[in-house]
Amino acid sequence: MADRRALGGPGVVLVVVYGVLALAATGRSLLQITSDFSAAPLAYTLSAVAAAVYVLATWCLARGGRWVRVGIVACAVELVGVLVVGAASFIVPEAFPDKTVWSHFGQGYGFVPLVLPVLGLWWFRRVDRGVVPQPAESDSAR
Amino acid sequence: MIEPLTYAVVGLATVLFVLSVYYAVRDRLVDDKVLLLVALLELGLIAQLVLGLVGLGEIENSTERATFVAYLVSLPVIPVGTALLTIKEKTVWAMGALAVGAFAVAVMTARLQQIWNLNG
Repeated sequence: MADRRALGGPGVVLVVVYGVLALAATGRSLLQITSDFSAAPLAYTLSAVAAAVYVLATWCLARGGRWVRVGIVACAVELVGVLVVGAASFIVPEAFPDKTVWSHFGQGYGFVPLVLPVLGLWWFRRVDRGVVPQPAESDSAR
Repeated sequence: MIEPLTYAVVGLATVLFVLSVYYAVRDRLVDDKVLLLVALLELGLIAQLVLGLVGLGEIENSTERATFVAYLVSLPVIPVGTALLTIKEKTVWAMGALAVGAFAVAVMTARLQQIWNLNG
């Protein structure tokens, strides 16, 4: 059986954490947008963006290979997002009548959104430098 | 929602968490005993999903209701997803992943009950 799991070891834990966050963020944002989008358009749009980035990062972690580079960008976007939105939710709270995943630096999610992109970047970089062995893409793995 | 079920689910998830950590420390891979626990937890979560959806109308606040449904639907995916990853992963990290999943289930279920108590 061909091994499609490109990232073994600690990566598997990260996939779970990312997967859970992606699920929670996607579900919440879908319902926010479909139930009452006009209540907090900015917050809900950001929720949707955050959810999409988490889903992408989960995918990149699970697939590895050429997705590692995409994953690095996704994690960087997350880190910027949580820092900017986190700060903005303190400075201009009136712009965020409802919470997003990134509000108050991810406080509503136990600050996981703040820690996760750092862990993700660390892991992706390790993989990118070849510290973690992974199936070569040119290899006839499938 | 019935509280005994919440306690059962949180209890099972906690047991699974502790067992996974124990396995990880002892460098053991997933076995039938662990998978049986995962299956039990999954059954509890499905029951919770059905009961939660039935009683959904009792939550007045639409934002809270949205969070409630998101958690309710997401929860049953976690044990299945982590178990699948865990079976394929042949390192000690697999049990770590299972532990993280179990912890997430416990926290999210507790949060679910919290939303219910505040708004139900």
